Amino acid sequence: MISMLAAQSLSVMRSGQEVLKDVSFSIKQGEIHALLGGNGAGKSTTLLTFLGFLAPASGNVHVQGRDVSENVSAARQAIAYLPEAATLYGHLSAYENLHYFLSLAGTDTGRKALDDALDRVALQPEARNMRMETYSKGMRQKVAIALAILRDTPILLLDEPTSGLDPVAIDEFNRLARDLAEAGRTILLVTHDVYGACHVADRIDLLQNGVLVGAFDRPAGMDRIDTEAVHVAFAQHAGA
Amino acid sequence: MSGLVREIRFLASDRAALLWLGIALLVACVSVVLGLREIATQRVVLNELIEIDSAEREVLDTLYQDWGDVAYYTFHLTWDSPSDFAFAALGQRDTSPWKHQIRALALEGQIYETDAENPDFALIGRFDFAFAANLLAPLLLILLLHDLRSAERTAGRYELLSATAASQGSPWFARAALRVGALTICLIGPLWAGGLLGGAGASTLVPASLVVILHIAFWWGVCALVDRYGWSSPVNLTALVGVWLAFAVIVPAAIKISVESIVPLPDGGEILLTQREAVNDAWDLPKAATMEPFIERHPEWADYTEVSQPFEWKWYYAFQQVGDQTVEPLSQAYRDGRIRRDRLAGSLAWLSPPALAERAMQALADTNVAATLTYEQRVRAFHKALREYYYPRLFRGEPVSTVSLQQRPQFRGKES
Amino acid sequence: MSNVLSIAREESRLWLRSRLALFALLIFAVLLAAVSIATSLRMSEEHRERSEQQALAEETFLSQPDRHPHRMVHYGHYVFRTPPPLAMIDPGVDSVTGQSIFLEGHRQNTAMFADARAGADLGGFEGLTAALVYQLFVPLLLIAIGHGVFIREREENTLAPLLAQGVTGNELYAGKWIALAGVTLALLLPLAIVSAAAVVRGETLLASFGVIGLYALYLFVWCGLILLVSAMVRSRALSLGILALFWLASALIVPRMAVESAVSAMPAPGKIETDLRMQAELREVGDGHNAGAPQFMQLRANLLVQYDVERVEDLPVNFRGVVSEVAEADVTEVMNRFAEERMEFEVRQARFAESFGWLSPVVAVSAGSRALSGTDLATHHRFLREAEDVRFDFVQGLNRVHAEQLAYNDDINRSLNEEANRRTRMSAENWNVLDEFSFQPAAADERLARAGTPLGMLSAWLLLLTAGGVGAARRMQP
Repeated sequence: MISMLAAQSLSVMRSGQEVLKDVSFSIKQGEIHALLGGNGAGKSTTLLTFLGFLAPASGNVHVQGRDVSENVSAARQAIAYLPEAATLYGHLSAYENLHYFLSLAGTDTGRKALDDALDRVALQPEARNMRMETYSKGMRQKVAIALAILRDTPILLLDEPTSGLDPVAIDEFNRLARDLAEAGRTILLVTHDVYGACHVADRIDLLQNGVLVGAFDRPAGMDRIDTEAVHVAFAQHAGA
Repeated sequence: MSGLVREIRFLASDRAALLWLGIALLVACVSVVLGLREIATQRVVLNELIEIDSAEREVLDTLYQDWGDVAYYTFHLTWDSPSDFAFAALGQRDTSPWKHQIRALALEGQIYETDAENPDFALIGRFDFAFAANLLAPLLLILLLHDLRSAERTAGRYELLSATAASQGSPWFARAALRVGALTICLIGPLWAGGLLGGAGASTLVPASLVVILHIAFWWGVCALVDRYGWSSPVNLTALVGVWLAFAVIVPAAIKISVESIVPLPDGGEILLTQREAVNDAWDLPKAATMEPFIERHPEWADYTEVSQPFEWKWYYAFQQVGDQTVEPLSQAYRDGRIRRDRLAGSLAWLSPPALAERAMQALADTNVAATLTYEQRVRAFHKALREYYYPRLFRGEPVSTVSLQQRPQFRGKES
Repeated sequence: MSNVLSIAREESRLWLRSRLALFALLIFAVLLAAVSIATSLRMSEEHRERSEQQALAEETFLSQPDRHPHRMVHYGHYVFRTPPPLAMIDPGVDSVTGQSIFLEGHRQNTAMFADARAGADLGGFEGLTAALVYQLFVPLLLIAIGHGVFIREREENTLAPLLAQGVTGNELYAGKWIALAGVTLALLLPLAIVSAAAVVRGETLLASFGVIGLYALYLFVWCGLILLVSAMVRSRALSLGILALFWLASALIVPRMAVESAVSAMPAPGKIETDLRMQAELREVGDGHNAGAPQFMQLRANLLVQYDVERVEDLPVNFRGVVSEVAEADVTEVMNRFAEERMEFEVRQARFAESFGWLSPVVAVSAGSRALSGTDLATHHRFLREAEDVRFDFVQGLNRVHAEQLAYNDDINRSLNEEANRRTRMSAENWNVLDEFSFQPAAADERLARAGTPLGMLSAWLLLLTAGGVGAARRMQP
């Protein structure tokens, strides 16, 4: 089976700094892959490179087996992207925002589908017609996640999807991500939350200062990766 | 198509954009209404004056028994009626006269008289459509377009939008195009409404609309260019307003200074002084000194040049004409200079799109420098006709008669 | 106090380190310098030229040969309006009104040859002057660098620490104000230099300082507005939007709307209309060239009684000269009445337009600037009145020569033959009835008084905006 997302010896420069150094990984269909790292580790850079917003200085990135630099728009079409601290339009309601963005993506989605997605992220029905500038950070994040689901793309790139969510909502998100993966969607998420990553991911790559410094797989038959081991490795590299 | 609907709905909820578009619409409407009213006032004033003028002449015609007196005391109104499109660009009608009273005396002493508005107002300028479309609209467009991308970047939506719209082409173009289109409609709509109301035809409205569209398109290009640098909204706005300042203010000012130093104009005061000298010196010169140059122009009166009295009307009018003849080179140079200045300014205006658009609209409205000069030429032609009407009567010493007076040339407004 | 100064220092350091702010400042410095120099050179050239023309016109008049005095009345004279020293900053109405008037008997001519009519036409702002740059465009620079003074503190999350440290809203406001006012004062430097040059050319210190003060006050109004908006609004985009809207309205829209409102509230009768009415009245006064006109019969009878003679020929004065003098006085009375009516009307119109200064500081400053520079409507009227005085004096001087030195019999027989004609030529020495003319604007304190209303408007603006700004800064929360 070909990999849905792959980075090979990827190096990326931003403002003269090498922010990713020789990073390689590959994700198969239906997998949830987490990039775990501290601030400035290069997590968001990796996502932007897959989307073609940044070009590799060396190495390459593939989406569904095709080099992104050869066809950016094909790559973007296959991906739903959830930016970090996504702010949708404050002057529009959740429905209007979803409708607007989906129509930008060329999909026409009925109210029923919107409600289904908003149900899945557990956004209170009474809030859905209100302007998003009245929303809390967590509510906004839920709408953004709903948008990513609704895009109905084979791949999801999620930048800190659980930031701003309360513990209950985080659990709900983890369950949702698992469901999506089981339905065949491939998810790459980046986070600095060790606990959350261990609970949702099939595999965790530890990224520190642009270099992959460790990898943890979910053992077969287990429902999560060993949090303690990841924690130790994380602290060790952060301290180094 | 669905993209257009989508962006229209999006625009409809963008309060800032609606504010700028609303201002554009308001400004355009107000300018058109004010322009129409100004032109209507000018028409009313002209009609009244034309009536007063002929009534006045009827009274005068009964007063004098001598052609010399008739020619001396009778004033004739000349005028330049506004075109049907003049409401959109008042142009030179603001500072240059569009009505003149002249009589058969030396013309150079009369033609530079002004019937000026309040100078405080001439200094500030009028609020016409050309002002709204050429100077205000670019600023409104800048305000509409300067943060299209940068605001999304600040809000962290830029990547999301670009990534989401990958398959549908850029949302930026649609958004910008829609705003540009809306602004253009806000301008052209009132123009057409006012134009049709005021009787302007498609022959002026269509090219004027084209001027607006091309000018707006230029500023769209400028905005798109600045947008490519990916600066923040305040930097974009500052840069764009800077570009506006350069094109709308600094470049025109520089062109004006260079045009006026490249094409010097004879001093207007000198024309008057020379003319006065010539006319006044004639009193002390032998009569022949006046009649000789006069006959050069009018050989048909060569047999009537005998002046026996110290004062005779025919001699008086002859030296009036000779006064004009004396300053002809200066006066011609003054006029040529104005034409050359105008032509040069017209060529250099390509460096400043707002100036170019303004000049194009004035040309369509017949309110440009060329139109002023044409009017001046028509006054000169009428004055010439007037003189040539009086000469046979003065030189042959005919008696004043009603029949003869009825043949006197009448100034006619231009065909419109 | 030290808090205030360190806030101000921090703000200016930010500008000095921002390439954008520095670049904009530099551009404006160059623009201001260039325009100031260009305006100064142009106006001093105009001053020189017109002074020369004035001298030449006087010389020409005085060097006229012996002739009949009434011929000199029609020969006429020119007066030129030399621009005052402060026109180097604000040429005002100079370019739209003519700069010279031809003076002759029984007529009041208009000023002719306005620059605006012979210049290159480029769409509205081509007549750039130092005054215009200060009035319209320097505020743009202040907006560009100042719109975010408070917002920036929020964006960078420095507002909370500042307030937590015990910095008060007042101190914050004062610090930002000092920083912005400092930039303003630096921008006023070219203006100050030109004003100093004007003093060297004979302008009073009062007027020069008045102009500098006026523009400082005006730009402080903008500082006050910028600080107020920046303190009240939470996003840069909104702050810029509001300030841009205010600029658009006050710099471009309101001044022209003021003109339009004044014109429609008080439509002016055009010159030709008034001329026609005036001509009708003048016909009643009678033609001074025609001593036999019925209007002068009474005068004739009175004179005969006064000198106790039977015939006009026996009068010790030349009756034709007396008629000229009396008719000139009557005609002038009518013409002056019309002229005063027109000028009063223009002043009322202008005052109406000036009242829009309550809506737009640009309207206020431009009116104040013209008044102080001596290039306003009132100064133009002063020129017209002074020119009329010169006209009336020399015409009546010549008429007195006509009445007192030229014998009546010679006068009426002058058309008989050359010899008779020669007897009516008066010595050229009589032409020195003409006074020297050198136009000066009103005294500085009078101009300052005229600028009083605009100064009051700007002060009110400043007070309101500062009070609002201080209030907003006090209420400011992170």
